[in-house]
Amino acid sequence: MRETPLTNCEKDFVKKSVAENRRIDGRQPYDTRKAKITFGVDRGSCQVQLGQTRVFAQVSCEVAEPKPSRPSDGILFVNLELSPMACPSFEAGRLSDYGVELNRLLERCLKESRCLDTESLCITTGEKVWSIRVDVHVLNHDGNIIDAASIAAISVLAHFRRPDVTVSGTEITIHPIEERDPVPLSVHHMPLCVTFAFFEQGKYLVVDPTDLEEKVMDGKMVIGMNKHREICTLQITGDIQLEKDQVLRCSNIAVVKVTEMTELIHKALDNDRQVRASGGKFGFAESISIEKVTSNQMKGSEINMEDAEEQASALVLSDQDSETPSDTIEDEETVVHVLNKGVGSIGQGGASQWTIDEEEAEKMQTEVKFKMTRTKSAHKNLPTATDGDLGDNSEEEETIVLGQDMKIISQQERQNSQKMQTKTGDVKMKKGKKYMKK
Amino acid sequence: MSNSSKRSNLRVMSAELSLLSRPDGSATLFQGDTCVMSAVYGPGEVRINKEQIDRATVEVIYKPRSGLPGCTEKSQERLIRNTCETVLLSSLHPRSSVSLTVQEMQNSGSLLACCINSMCLALLDSGMSMKCLVAAVHCVLDFEGAVFLDATDKEEKGAQACVTFVFDSVDKNVVMVHAVGKYSVEQFNKCMSVCRTASADIFHFYRETMTKKLKRS
Amino acid sequence: MVDHVGTVFLPGDTIHNLNKSEKTGKIIIGPGLRQESETIIVSKPGILRHKEPNIYWIDSHQKKYVPVKGEQVLGVVTAKAGDVFRVDVGGSEQATLSYLSFEGATKRNRPDVKVGDIVFARFLVANKDMEPELVCMDGAGRSSGMGVIGRDRGFMFTCSLNLIRKILSPGCVLLKTLGNGNRFEITVGMNGRVWIHGRSVVDTIMVANAISAAEFMDKDQIRAMCSKLADRFIVVE
Repeated sequence: MRETPLTNCEKDFVKKSVAENRRIDGRQPYDTRKAKITFGVDRGSCQVQLGQTRVFAQVSCEVAEPKPSRPSDGILFVNLELSPMACPSFEAGRLSDYGVELNRLLERCLKESRCLDTESLCITTGEKVWSIRVDVHVLNHDGNIIDAASIAAISVLAHFRRPDVTVSGTEITIHPIEERDPVPLSVHHMPLCVTFAFFEQGKYLVVDPTDLEEKVMDGKMVIGMNKHREICTLQITGDIQLEKDQVLRCSNIAVVKVTEMTELIHKALDNDRQVRASGGKFGFAESISIEKVTSNQMKGSEINMEDAEEQASALVLSDQDSETPSDTIEDEETVVHVLNKGVGSIGQGGASQWTIDEEEAEKMQTEVKFKMTRTKSAHKNLPTATDGDLGDNSEEEETIVLGQDMKIISQQERQNSQKMQTKTGDVKMKKGKKYMKK
Repeated sequence: MSNSSKRSNLRVMSAELSLLSRPDGSATLFQGDTCVMSAVYGPGEVRINKEQIDRATVEVIYKPRSGLPGCTEKSQERLIRNTCETVLLSSLHPRSSVSLTVQEMQNSGSLLACCINSMCLALLDSGMSMKCLVAAVHCVLDFEGAVFLDATDKEEKGAQACVTFVFDSVDKNVVMVHAVGKYSVEQFNKCMSVCRTASADIFHFYRETMTKKLKRS
Repeated sequence: MVDHVGTVFLPGDTIHNLNKSEKTGKIIIGPGLRQESETIIVSKPGILRHKEPNIYWIDSHQKKYVPVKGEQVLGVVTAKAGDVFRVDVGGSEQATLSYLSFEGATKRNRPDVKVGDIVFARFLVANKDMEPELVCMDGAGRSSGMGVIGRDRGFMFTCSLNLIRKILSPGCVLLKTLGNGNRFEITVGMNGRVWIHGRSVVDTIMVANAISAAEFMDKDQIRAMCSKLADRFIVVE
């Protein structure tokens, strides 16, 4: 799908307003949008909102073989996904140039700055190390994805806990979370990206550009920095030439922004830790109800459906004397005998397989009857519809068609079904054997 | 009845609509701790090779939390798409595309059901024309034959069978069934009846959520 | 029976007892409702609205625009293709706009339209099976306000279709109150786009934000907001 094209009018207006030190969302040029960090119920998942831009990050870990060049280092893998949810022009599965650029930038910011102590992820040198994977999904694109992604990635790494491992001799034991407290990753420092957008050949600059500003800008500079004033990555793209003091000025602004943001991350982590320790409620769901207090008016309601136990018994009762006449249920039971062998192997979904199939041949006639009675009862249940209404699209028509087809091929089907039965029988035998081995 | 159902209520559901600024409709749905976010774009421009002359092309993309989508995810995607195609009045928008993205954010059981319900909420939020609504209910059978409605992931692990039903809002007929494991027809019927009753709660939830949203505007 | 009117319906609901016209015994159903043999079924989530004597429709909340014949929209010119311009209107397909359908345009005297311009135009053809077509003239060949707008000035933003209908409805106080003590030009397209030109950049931004904020406000809230803003306008001057 295509994005709405940019108009000359919007372009001119953005340029004009930047020249007047104004921005469309009411910010000052050096203001960032309001950031919000929420952690999930599971360790190692978090959502970051930067204005309307929204990203979701998830950490997963597994034991893997180290790279031959670095036998005692764990592996950190960073993946930034531009989900088609975020913007109609993003396509699933295919990485655009923009996607590659952001991915590399984030990877560089996290890996090259060595913010994660990879040596501590080693289990046995040259054989087993932890491989940590960070997936960052962009959910809504309103500019400045990289800043939001870098906040999410580093917060989620700090939030994650990996299972504990003990090594005795050649034996490695990975303790499940229930058994032993999981261990945090050792995060040395928190590199965060700050984006500056430049207009009119670097004459004007704004921090944290929105989508519209990103479309209009001449070029941008991304500074990755930690709170110790160490620059971890720096990238200038676009049609701009900057002077030395411009870069210096930007890095000074970045220091302020990074310090603020690092504080926010620590606060969010602390909050989460406290809530977990005190046994309170946490997770994304809680963040919603908090927002509700701040009267976001488009919020869905939260209802608690604690049905009473009576409903269960009522259910069972209604199950016994359900709407369909009891004799049709018996009908089904006779069908069961034929179906029986296939039942165990009804498996993982996929497309509907309910074409006229092997075993069904024999019981088809009875089932047609069953369906007929059902549709009739449905008619009765509907107070509004007259018989004529449903006739258009009800099952009745379909079932009749099925019935006719069946008569024609039923002979063949019967033979097939016998074959099938023997086949399924075999499968069962095999399954049984497997069970024995276990 | 010796094997009465063990849990007869759905977990707490909460939803947030229109939380993303870009998509035409979006929703996050929590069922207990399970959390899924869905977004809809459409009816929009369609790629020529996917164009259908008589109806809109429905595309569903399912995104797992981590890693690349594998076989299970693709099958899940298909189930969601089939359900979506059933309810959408796609013939109203020929030669266009409706694209849906479903993002898993937290899996604590009943994931497929949560995906389908959040999809339905996102479609409601977008104001797209639909034949009816759908509600998905998940339940598991343990080895004693007890039914756990809207099971958690732990309950799913110790189960004999996991079944997900999708019902429509008009006749409460079954739109889709997805089952894993072994069960008898009686058990299946029982699950269906339990889930059908529970689906009423979900439809009620949809109505309440939408009423709240629309009454304000 | 009119007591359904004003309540929220969801797709799949059936509606009974609608008022029929006394003469013909017919009901007229608008967007969001469809007929299936004898029953009327809701197809869009929204509030049921009624207009005397027998017109019913569903007022739904939507962001995506679907072209409707006769509606005036704000489009963005994306390309020139021979005799026509391609215009993005936010629908599923780009609309065409002939260079001859401007006031006073002839084969020799072509209108001055560039790629990236905003045009205010009316749908001549809008049909689900056909390419939509726009014109910038009324039946008499006059522009009546349509054509290229806002070149080098103003700002365009998007909002939900609901809000557009709200601010255009005769009972809405928003534009009237905003216009008190503050001058600005505004063009509202039914496709959810609004173009604004205030006296200064700040004014324009403020009006744009006021309009987007009005989406979930009632009359009193709008009045309160506008009076607050009026103070700001004076301060800025």
